[in-house]
Amino acid sequence: MKEKHLSEKFYQAMKQKESRYPDRKALILPALHQAQAEYGWLPKEVLAEIAEYIGVHEAQIREVASFYTMYNLKPVGKMHLKLCTNVACCLRGADELMEYAEKKLGVKCGETTPDGAFTLSEEECLGACTTAPVMMANDDYVENLDINSLNHFIEKVKHER
Amino acid sequence: MPKCTIDGKEVEFKAGENLVTVAKRVGAEIPVFCYHPGLSVVAQCRMCYVEVEKMPKLQTACSTLAAEGMVVKTQSEAVKKGRAGTMEFLLLNHPLDCPICDKAGECDLQDNSFGHGSEFMRHSEERRTYVDVDMGPVIQKNMNRCIHCTRCIRFGEEVAGIHEMVAIKRGNNIDITTIDGKQLKTEYAGNYSDICPTGSLTLKDFRFKKRAWMLKKTATICEGCSKGCNMEVQQEGNVVYRCVPRENLEINKYWMCDEGRFNYHYVQDPSRIVSPMKRSGDSWLVSPWEELLVNFRTDSAGTGVMLLIGTDLTLEEMKAIQETAKALSPRAAILSFGTPGVESTTQDGPRDQILKMKSKTSNLKGAEMLGIQPLLGAAKSDVVLVFRGGRAELPRIEAKKAYGVGVFLEKERNHFHAILPGLSFLEKEGTVVNHQGKEQSLKRALLPRGKSKAIGEILMLALHQRNGEVTA
Amino acid sequence: MSANSQTLFVQHFWKDSNRTLEYYLEEMSGYEAARKVLGGMTPDQVIEEVKKANIRGRGGAGFPMGMKWSFIPKNSEKPKYLVCNADESEPGTCKDRQIIRYTPHLLIEGLLIGSFAIGCKHAYVYIRGEYVREARLLEEAIEEAREKGYLGKNIFGSGFDLEITVHRGAGAYICGEETGLLNSLEGKRGEPRVKPPFPAISGAFSCPTAVNNVESIANVPHIIQMGGDAFAKLGKIDKSGGTRLISLSGHVNKPGVYEVQAGSMTLRQIIEELGGGVWKGKKLKAVIPGGSSSPVLTADEIDAVYDVEPLMKIGTMMGSAAIMVIDEDTDMARLLLRITKFYAHESCGQCTPCREGCHWMESLLHKIVHGEAKTTDVDLLVDVAGNIGGKTLCALGDAAAMPVQSFVKKFRPEFEAYVKGQKRHA
Repeated sequence: MKEKHLSEKFYQAMKQKESRYPDRKALILPALHQAQAEYGWLPKEVLAEIAEYIGVHEAQIREVASFYTMYNLKPVGKMHLKLCTNVACCLRGADELMEYAEKKLGVKCGETTPDGAFTLSEEECLGACTTAPVMMANDDYVENLDINSLNHFIEKVKHER
Repeated sequence: MPKCTIDGKEVEFKAGENLVTVAKRVGAEIPVFCYHPGLSVVAQCRMCYVEVEKMPKLQTACSTLAAEGMVVKTQSEAVKKGRAGTMEFLLLNHPLDCPICDKAGECDLQDNSFGHGSEFMRHSEERRTYVDVDMGPVIQKNMNRCIHCTRCIRFGEEVAGIHEMVAIKRGNNIDITTIDGKQLKTEYAGNYSDICPTGSLTLKDFRFKKRAWMLKKTATICEGCSKGCNMEVQQEGNVVYRCVPRENLEINKYWMCDEGRFNYHYVQDPSRIVSPMKRSGDSWLVSPWEELLVNFRTDSAGTGVMLLIGTDLTLEEMKAIQETAKALSPRAAILSFGTPGVESTTQDGPRDQILKMKSKTSNLKGAEMLGIQPLLGAAKSDVVLVFRGGRAELPRIEAKKAYGVGVFLEKERNHFHAILPGLSFLEKEGTVVNHQGKEQSLKRALLPRGKSKAIGEILMLALHQRNGEVTA
Repeated sequence: MSANSQTLFVQHFWKDSNRTLEYYLEEMSGYEAARKVLGGMTPDQVIEEVKKANIRGRGGAGFPMGMKWSFIPKNSEKPKYLVCNADESEPGTCKDRQIIRYTPHLLIEGLLIGSFAIGCKHAYVYIRGEYVREARLLEEAIEEAREKGYLGKNIFGSGFDLEITVHRGAGAYICGEETGLLNSLEGKRGEPRVKPPFPAISGAFSCPTAVNNVESIANVPHIIQMGGDAFAKLGKIDKSGGTRLISLSGHVNKPGVYEVQAGSMTLRQIIEELGGGVWKGKKLKAVIPGGSSSPVLTADEIDAVYDVEPLMKIGTMMGSAAIMVIDEDTDMARLLLRITKFYAHESCGQCTPCREGCHWMESLLHKIVHGEAKTTDVDLLVDVAGNIGGKTLCALGDAAAMPVQSFVKKFRPEFEAYVKGQKRHA
């Protein structure tokens, strides 16, 4: 038997979703989310295992996973900061925040800090425009950002580690 | 029948026909890239714009079904501008390396650019580039030339039944590819090259061999199995460079398998025997036709003669053998051979979900129609005369004397005492009957090689041979 | 907000405790609208009521909602689906998020009534992937409703069954387009489909499907409770009933999600009275009135009544009712580059004009603001936009073309200053 990469928990969670769709392929997005929640990103072996679980060609999983920006096809840091730089955020200083975050973390946008603690990315509109600028910090939104609160947030995460 | 009007001409259509198809009937050729009649309609390339009365925007002819009373313009100014816009977009990132591209001369991108593009280039940005990808023995991919029509993806999914070609990433960064540089698995990979409207997916077998416009084309039938796929042989200077499928909706639609596509190679294999020869101890000697024909005639006239007819021969050849045998070898047993295990049409059937049949010869049905019984097991007789087109699998032969008449390679000659070289399926005309019972015609694409002769001629000569002299 | 204006949503927003079923039962419809529907109305009567309400879709296209439901074939053998579009992806928009956060039961009840109206037994809420917390809140609310028997089998003893599944997207603007959304729901790349067939005939899993925005569906309990006519009268303009949730962002003093009776205020009133005017005492330069794809308006064009038709008359659109306010110091060329970069990033890549053209427009704008463009590049940019707009498979091409065309048309000197070398971005 092939070595399994995904946990029993993954398969149990998926089992519950199976009856929710008339076609197994609809499980692809939920499975990718579930696997990413477990791994933090989606290695090729995991994608292949998902393909086997769903019963489709591995390439089909890959084409779906690569379409959506939230699926990490490369490893990311423990804290993934995604700064929105779209119109509403940009109008309220997102570019300055990005510059600040790059300096503060010592990485360029799109990179991970050498200790694996932070990944910094630019994000398209997060749908929280009335509380701009915003960022996603892993699964949470941090809203009404300014340089102070961004600094404070990063310090807090560093401190909690 | 319902009617619509295209470019001022009234035309009838069947329900469900799109405007690309209906427009052809009034002589309006609508340019397409992504549309292919054998694949689902996606309306992605945006080349086939037409103007439809009462619709504010340009419509794509591929995805617009003709409707009663519809009024369509295929040549209006708006249409021309729309198509020119699409052509400009498609060429933004295309390398324009036509001089070294195998597709040149038969390229939809060239043709549509010629017909619908602008003479000016307004783009000065850097082009998107990718590295070439080897996709296994059949296809080489050059993504730079790709125009994202997705025909290949749809072919894989909808026809070949394997989702191995995919679009990775999105938008301007899309890569259309197999994943991780994997080789294509489908046994129908050659079709990827046929349907690619640019030189993005090229046939390795054909790459850099010949300019497309030099090729002379002959419509014939594949001999690879009992399906009888319609194909076109493309040769120049009596050398075949490529075989491609021809549309036949009742048989192969638009496709053919790789086995059939590349089957032609043996025809021009340097080890093919194209001179009459006979065994002499451990070696083989090229001998005059006359000498071998006399021997052939003498040996075939005796008792204990078995005559084997390959199910890769044409109906005409089979009949000629049957007829001549009455005079030449009246007591001979006449049996057929072709695909071991598929000796009769009842044993024949689909080998996959797509085109391939179990019988690996083209005319099993024809042999049965002529009442030729199959050989089961080995050919045991004093004298065995084997007539073969080139593809029928040789049985085990246990004989004092064995003749091979037809197409053989050097590695096959040790079954025999003498070879009388015949014509391959590309060098002759004739009829084959496919598994459905459809009679189809082989057309001669090549001149005979060396000293080879048609089976009919060989038989006639043998029949009238008396001590080295031909008698009328 | 004008004192006499009536609201249906915002009074329940901004307090976490309001999202509970308990609050919903006490302070809001409390599933009484659904009980009324399942207890004695026919599907046709429900659709009739929604038609009377004159409610236009709140997602962006503004299509009359009752009409959309009536397109679902009644006699189809296939299952039918109601799919709620909670992708909320048009930049500037964040109203649906508040409905899910604060009044999730309103959405669930709306789904229940809508499903009954079109004959759906399993409804899906397609929610943008980034709304991780919101998806969880909605799932919790669905669980609450199910425990009380408002979902599941034989709801209110009516024999009607309904399940609701929350399906998370994963980061793709194009999944806000209804057929892209359906592909994504089916586990595919979120590439829009060729239409026809329209979703009403062949939508989710090739079955008849109605796709409606969150706010549209959440209005349904209101419509049933107050009656279609009364709901229609909330609108102060023809052919547009109810209230509108507006996402007001950018350079205003009080950005936020507001609610106004449809057609009751002008754009200027909204910015000044609700948004407290342009921030930092600055002058207004421009307004993007309906999400980043809508054609931009100059400061003197904002006296139009804020609703679908008046905005259409002045050459722009209400879209998802996302207003972005732009002050006098804003560099319009750079802002347009930012908008165009977004559409290029979000182009699915299927169709030629959008895949190639959006990226080209981005490159041209990049050259313009970096002083590398030729003087003819501004016209080229507009011409490229013209070759995209109206030519693409879905509306993303239009969405990308409209800002380019309108920005250059209305703020041309700012672009020319760059190409003439009078201005250069650092």
